[in-house]
Amino acid sequence: MASTSRGDSLPKVQCPNHPDAILVEDYRAGDMICPECGLVVGDRVIDVGSEWRTFTNEKATNDPSRVGDAQNPLLNGGDLSTMISKGTGAASFDEFGNSKYQNRRTMSSADRAMLNAFKEITTMSDRINLPRNIIDRTNNLFKQVYEQKSLKGRSNDAIASACLYIACRQEGVPRTFKEICAVSRISKKEIGRCFKLILKALETSVDLITTGDFMSRFCSNLGLPKQVQIAATYIARKAVELDLVPGRSPISVAAAAIYMASQASAEKKTQKEIGDIAGVADVTIRQSYRLIYPRAADLFPPDFKFDTPVDKLPQL
Amino acid sequence: MEQNNSLTPFPQGLASPPGAMTPVMPIFSPTMRYNTGLTPQPVQNTNSLSLLEEQQRQQQQQQQQQATPQLYHSQVSTTTALPGNTPVHTTPLTPMTPITPATPASESSGILPQLQNIVSTVNLGCKLDLKTIALRARNAEYNPKRFAAVIMRIREPRTTALIFSSGKMVCTGAKSEVQSRLAARKYARVVQKLGFPAKFLDFKIQNMVGSCDVKFPIRLEGLVLTHQQFSSYEPELFPGLIYRMIKPRIVLLIFVSGKVVLTGAKVRAEIYEAFENIYPILKGFRKTT
Repeated sequence: MASTSRGDSLPKVQCPNHPDAILVEDYRAGDMICPECGLVVGDRVIDVGSEWRTFTNEKATNDPSRVGDAQNPLLNGGDLSTMISKGTGAASFDEFGNSKYQNRRTMSSADRAMLNAFKEITTMSDRINLPRNIIDRTNNLFKQVYEQKSLKGRSNDAIASACLYIACRQEGVPRTFKEICAVSRISKKEIGRCFKLILKALETSVDLITTGDFMSRFCSNLGLPKQVQIAATYIARKAVELDLVPGRSPISVAAAAIYMASQASAEKKTQKEIGDIAGVADVTIRQSYRLIYPRAADLFPPDFKFDTPVDKLPQL
Repeated sequence: MEQNNSLTPFPQGLASPPGAMTPVMPIFSPTMRYNTGLTPQPVQNTNSLSLLEEQQRQQQQQQQQQATPQLYHSQVSTTTALPGNTPVHTTPLTPMTPITPATPASESSGILPQLQNIVSTVNLGCKLDLKTIALRARNAEYNPKRFAAVIMRIREPRTTALIFSSGKMVCTGAKSEVQSRLAARKYARVVQKLGFPAKFLDFKIQNMVGSCDVKFPIRLEGLVLTHQQFSSYEPELFPGLIYRMIKPRIVLLIFVSGKVVLTGAKVRAEIYEAFENIYPILKGFRKTT
């Protein structure tokens, strides 16, 4: 009969015939089985699965699992403290209506700031509908920066916003600083400063932004059809290749390209509308448009259906 | 003192002795076409605020810095011009042959960055009452709620000074080291005339800004790709590329048009050296269209 080697300091379970074999866990019976010979090595192993099956039921307001929320071991410092939750029922209130056992707030004070920041990151990301992978990446970045402590004096919200910006960049779907500003209470200047400091602290770098990164988002927000979006992408790329707009921010060039494409199509948008969506001033769009207008005929894709011909495009 | 044909050993690394108030002369650099034949003038370690002395010293040094061939011979007579300052030894002037170090295979750029701004500090050595200074001096503004210093300006050299109540002063806006020093002396003179026992201690140049033009457009995207440990290019934040050179420790702002701004230097030679270092790199990223 196999027995667990309790004589050692660590109760290491292993098969007596195959000490090197990694034991397979059979959770239904609570056994540890050796895959080489099939010997049941350990038994009555505690089952860490859920206690009962829970179905999503609109009537059930509480999840009866006593095991609690899924742990977040990557991000917290192994949060093993005990929390007292808010009481249900009448007995949990003493006189005056205050709840007994009020002390449910003390939990891992070291990670409190980090949890706050994670909550803030989730809130910001929800506002612009960012997917879970970007949120996770942002959380990871924030954790790294927080543990390094090199940016300790800066506001956590600023660091969180900057981490969000970096995460979007790293995932290949950059958001402009103005878009991050729109969902954060921090100014663009401060986010920019934190951004540069974080890149230095984590010793990473990010790719340069290109005009094509923003086309799909801006065009969808403006309600432009797919053809116009393709045309605008082509125009912006060509304009940069031909170096018609040296030194201009890619956002401004993208906005001007969208303007040109939309004016040539049936869905005409004004500079003001595009400026509102892109976060660019309409005079800036005008400036960039003036630079690409002379070569307009070369910039359009060859298979584009013109609603307004190239020579009738507005000249500002 | 006649000029001899042998090359006088040129003291490299002309650092002023501590406490002296000669500005550091431009350290020998490949961009200096002719050597200026300078050795540090023996100056009395004086804190006197005699502007006449200062101006004469400044003029002499400016002449020597320009180093045009015509001036060489006329300089023989001016070395003893300082009143009340008997030089211990007259400086022998080296001949006009340019002493160039062993130049590397690549030639120098031929472009010299121009200095645009010098920031310097000096300690006047006594506590000051900013209110009386602001009331009695001309061209002085003092708004204690906004900033705790008197802001004073003079027209020649066109500079601005921040004068603090501890007696320390910051002088900005000068275009050369000697002008910065002269301006600081003028401010100290103003303060002295208002009745404070002002001295001129620890004059130090804190920052020098230079700019130049390489005359060709630059591909900043290429530069940021290859030198990404040093460069930061965020068109959303700033249209120029910020290049932080490690040696010498200078920050360069490089623009698409080919204009370059260099800042963070304590001495002129750092600016020249930094530009010489960056020029071949920029040539490699020249826009070909």
